[in-house]
Amino acid sequence: MSDGALIPLPPPPGVFDEMLDPAANPRPHYARYAQWLASMPAEQMAGKRGEADLIFRRIGITFAVYGEEGGTERLIPSDVVPRIIAADEWARLERGLIQRVTAINRFLADIYHGQEILKAGLIPEEQILTNAQFAVAMIGMKVPRDVYAHVVGVDLVRHGNGSYYVLEDNLRVPSGVSYMLSNRKMMMRLFPDLFGHYHVRPVEHYPALLLQTLRAAAETDSPTVVLLTPGRYNSAYFEHAFLAQQMGVELVEGQDLFVKDACVYMRTTDGPKRVDVIYRRIDDAFLDPLAFRPDSMLGVPGLLAAYRLGNVVICNAVGTGVADDKSIYPYVPEMVRFYLGEEPILNNVPTWQCRRPDDLAHVLAHLDELVVKEVHGAGGYGMLVGPTSSKEEIAAFRDRLLADPGNYIAQPTLALSSCPTFVEEGLAPRHVDLRPFVLFGREVRIVPGGLTRVALRRGSLVVNSSQGGGTKDTWVVDADAPGAPAPAAG
Amino acid sequence: MLSRVASHLYWLSRYLERAENMARILDVGASLALLSGRGDPQAANEPLVITDALEAFRAAGRPATPDAVARFLAWDQAYPSSIVSCLAASRENARSVRGSITSEMWENINDTWLQLSAKRRAGAEPIDSAFFDWVKERSHLFRGITFATIRRDQPYQFVRLGTFIERADNTARILSVKQARRQAATGDGLTDYYRLSAVLRSVSALEAYRDIYRDAIDSRRVSEMLIFDPTVPRSLRFCFDEVVRILEQLPQAPARAARRLAVHMHALLEHGALEDVDAVGLDAFLKRFLANNVRLGDAVHAAYMEMK
Repeated sequence: MSDGALIPLPPPPGVFDEMLDPAANPRPHYARYAQWLASMPAEQMAGKRGEADLIFRRIGITFAVYGEEGGTERLIPSDVVPRIIAADEWARLERGLIQRVTAINRFLADIYHGQEILKAGLIPEEQILTNAQFAVAMIGMKVPRDVYAHVVGVDLVRHGNGSYYVLEDNLRVPSGVSYMLSNRKMMMRLFPDLFGHYHVRPVEHYPALLLQTLRAAAETDSPTVVLLTPGRYNSAYFEHAFLAQQMGVELVEGQDLFVKDACVYMRTTDGPKRVDVIYRRIDDAFLDPLAFRPDSMLGVPGLLAAYRLGNVVICNAVGTGVADDKSIYPYVPEMVRFYLGEEPILNNVPTWQCRRPDDLAHVLAHLDELVVKEVHGAGGYGMLVGPTSSKEEIAAFRDRLLADPGNYIAQPTLALSSCPTFVEEGLAPRHVDLRPFVLFGREVRIVPGGLTRVALRRGSLVVNSSQGGGTKDTWVVDADAPGAPAPAAG
Repeated sequence: MLSRVASHLYWLSRYLERAENMARILDVGASLALLSGRGDPQAANEPLVITDALEAFRAAGRPATPDAVARFLAWDQAYPSSIVSCLAASRENARSVRGSITSEMWENINDTWLQLSAKRRAGAEPIDSAFFDWVKERSHLFRGITFATIRRDQPYQFVRLGTFIERADNTARILSVKQARRQAATGDGLTDYYRLSAVLRSVSALEAYRDIYRDAIDSRRVSEMLIFDPTVPRSLRFCFDEVVRILEQLPQAPARAARRLAVHMHALLEHGALEDVDAVGLDAFLKRFLANNVRLGDAVHAAYMEMK
């Protein structure tokens, strides 16, 4: 890396860059940051990055990577260059997210009750009723205020022309919010001068909003809320502990809870204590060994029975997975129209459903151009990125696809926008996505921004932390006051 | 407070205290070997006897040299009471309850583990005084951070409870083995002096002895001080002053058996004297104390930590 000032490198053709316009000039909402960056010596930036790594490791913000020998505690790299979103653009995203998550909650209430959307013929009945994520136990059960998905992490990407697309709606146990909060804390510690000059909207109140949302999920006064974790070997355990501490609620494991007379209690040093709301960070299948997987050691026997009687609230509700399944995803724009009578503000990525013969034929003919995903997959596992895969990889994937077409969907390979990222070669463009966190309580709240994930390998489009991704602090900035002085690097 | 959390807090501090005690025993063993010269083959085994590790060491099939013993007790990952195993267990317990301790406490324990791992990666596996001092310092630091940062609530009490039950166990063991060996040895005044001062140094009480008795080191007084003195922080009496006080702060209803036993043990230490020890013999007295201490640990578990 050469000494001197940091100049961001332009992205490859056809890629939308968050910071640079096609003429390689900073976009207006990045102008002040670019000015500051230009006065920042590269070695000083490298020093800051080293400092950040050290603090992250010491605080223990680590992420477990499955199937990696000795890699049970890897640091998720946090980049020192923020991803910045202009306030007006954020306002539009926020409206789109609220609309989308509202429609999804209406959809969930509908399919577990009247099933109007199926009667209207908008979604094939068998797509829902035979879906592995459709929870028969939820049929006809009333949940407070008809809210099913209380905490949602919507993954957004940006195409070459700069428009946003929803890649997936994570409605089960979305994670990553602790990285959003840690990144902000770290950036404020490393670059206090920047925050002094920039009007970055705060995100630190997320845990308070989450607690409000969870409390609002119960119909009782001053409910006791707990966070249910699979335990310290789970990859997101740091986040579970962090959120529980920030909210001031107990972090419980399945063995800490028990059900008596259809009510849920936790075992404490003072004896049993009643639990009203469970913010669960374990999947449906592990919640209750009596109702779901009998081999689950993580859950609480009898929990579902207590839940069905309305004696405890589970957040997110059981059975939300049927709405974020990749085979249902293509219908979300229809849900917005059907339940809200509005046109969707956020786009869906065009999706081929391999269970349909026509779609399958198209996908097989274009495997080298498409991204093919498992319907129930997550975390970047079990997917094919056509353009970056070898002939052998494509051939092997073709066999798997043909063996079980219904298990796959395909989408065009989106270019994914890039953002300057501090790597070995300097400030190079790396692909990013965005996961805002939507909280659905008495009202819908979203802290400005969310988690930006970045693919640190050059050219890579996979941003998952399990696949070598990192994260960035995400800023929503208000427009500059005219004539405000630009900050200078200290 | 969750029963499981109470258990993790209690064990996190017990393991840390155990690591510290192991470092103390090994440190004194090493310096004693230097001072007293060669010619005492049993000296090498002594740390194993104190920590009940003879069988495990023999099973590991290593030569019975002082270095091999120290390396085993400090660095053997397969032996659950080695320093490295204790620090690992302490951190695992802490990790499970990060939400119930302060971030400073967690960062300290995590940092201890990272430094230990770095030492091991460097291939060093040191068994010198500098390493044992480091272990003691990390333990001191954790107690200081705990004292300075955590709310005086149940989590604090369980951390302290683990410390003092473990510490009482350790002091009783050191005293029992060192005194038994001393009695067996012939009356060589110089060796005797080194043995006794080693006992005192291993529990950071050499200066305390001088302050209290202002006289030559005498074996009966060493026993008296480490059993009955209320001002020496590693004496049995001091540990049980703390244990009884802590149990008073915790919920009373589930802990009747534990409190009854603790108060009984405390009364023997508070109102007892060396004559009571003489009546049964030091060895028998300490053996009974150790057995009761184990029972107390079980009773505390049953009261607060069991997942019924």
